[in-house]
Amino acid sequence: MEDREREQRLHHEAKTLLEQGQVDYIIGYETGSLKFTTTPLITKDEDDTDRLVVNPFIVNNLSVYLTEVKGKAGIVAKGCDSRSIVSLIQDNKIAREDIVIMGIPCPGLIDLKKVELLLGKDRDELDNITREGDKVMITVDGKEKDFPTTEVLFDNCLGCEFPTPQEYDVLLGEPSFSITDKVASRARIKELEAVSQGKRWNFWREEFSRCIRCYACRNVCPACFCQRCFVEETEPLWLMPVPRWQDNLMFQVVRNIHVAGRCTDCGECERVCPMNIPLRSLTRKMYELVDEMFQYQAGMDKNAPPLLTAYEPTEAEDFMR
Amino acid sequence: MEQEVEWEPKLLGFLCRWCSYAGADLAGISRKKYPANIAVIKVPCSGRVDPLFIIKALRLGFDGVLVSGCYPGDCHYQTGNYHARRRLAITKKFLEYMGVEPQRIQASWVSASEGGKFTKVVSEVTKELKEVGTNQLFADGR
Repeated sequence: MEDREREQRLHHEAKTLLEQGQVDYIIGYETGSLKFTTTPLITKDEDDTDRLVVNPFIVNNLSVYLTEVKGKAGIVAKGCDSRSIVSLIQDNKIAREDIVIMGIPCPGLIDLKKVELLLGKDRDELDNITREGDKVMITVDGKEKDFPTTEVLFDNCLGCEFPTPQEYDVLLGEPSFSITDKVASRARIKELEAVSQGKRWNFWREEFSRCIRCYACRNVCPACFCQRCFVEETEPLWLMPVPRWQDNLMFQVVRNIHVAGRCTDCGECERVCPMNIPLRSLTRKMYELVDEMFQYQAGMDKNAPPLLTAYEPTEAEDFMR
Repeated sequence: MEQEVEWEPKLLGFLCRWCSYAGADLAGISRKKYPANIAVIKVPCSGRVDPLFIIKALRLGFDGVLVSGCYPGDCHYQTGNYHARRRLAITKKFLEYMGVEPQRIQASWVSASEGGKFTKVVSEVTKELKEVGTNQLFADGR
């Protein structure tokens, strides 16, 4: 189904939900103020539903707003977002009956940074970007150029295993085919795994010396739902407020361990990082470790207990003395 | 006259109040010898140990961290040690990926009657840490 058709169906569904009073809010995407961007739209007004969009730039993981709005909400969710929602249900942060999921089978999202790098042009200089199957057509100066989709998708989209929402009330369109490139998706992790321990530590040390501890990664993360984060504790003071690399690194390590089994590899932390720290090389690795050790994938079954609250009587004993 | 002092690793132990701490107590009462490198923090249960504690200890300059609790099935709170085990497994693997030497994160089951085992664990861990060397992870001038 074309994006346009999906959009029309979404408008209809969202409007009906609000009109019939099934939900108090609609959480979706609308066109952003900059070219090729979208921004979250949270509304109670049924006339606003005409502004909802579906396109290859709907990057935000909207499930992060579910814990903030009061009342019932209708939410637009891609594959990874739906898993975040399921994960929140598992943690009892939201109730399934309070949300209506409008699922979008997602063929992957376009990373504008990659597009800019590929063409050597700023996004403002591009006229149009359209997508058809495994080709992306980019129009610059009136000329159209074709690129393989794999070259412009986000890294996490390239490694996507479940493009179709796992949990939904309405599915907009057919279950999606996915165009993936698993090797490219974890290229950096592979590079890191190949070098020595000391080099790995130095790599992260360098990366985190750029961190300004703006906490954008934490705030955008649906798995980071604590009311009070350990970084804001003052007694004991776990982290010094000044963003030195030691504390930045500690923050990110602990954050990753705390969200183990909740992270669905939606890639939001890396996308929002203003310092371009490759955070997905941490979250993705954690995702893989959890899968490897406990055969657990986040947000797949809303009735399953969360990873860190469950246990098997015999497991992971090899490191215990 | 100056004497060469051999470097001794600093080990921080989180011992569960019901089993491992009692085990350490027993080692003391039985006058067993074990390296004095370990500093002990008594925790209600090994399940109380947040991975944050482990990283904070490394950040403060401890060369290694030992988390010790009751054997599976013996937890005073039924399941605390199972949760600890899962969390520790993840923490250890993840820190290894970050570039922390795996020997710095240690875990053991020591029951209240195992003064001998506690002695053995502390000796082994201290020996391993001596091989790994000082914790320079968070030092600035590297």
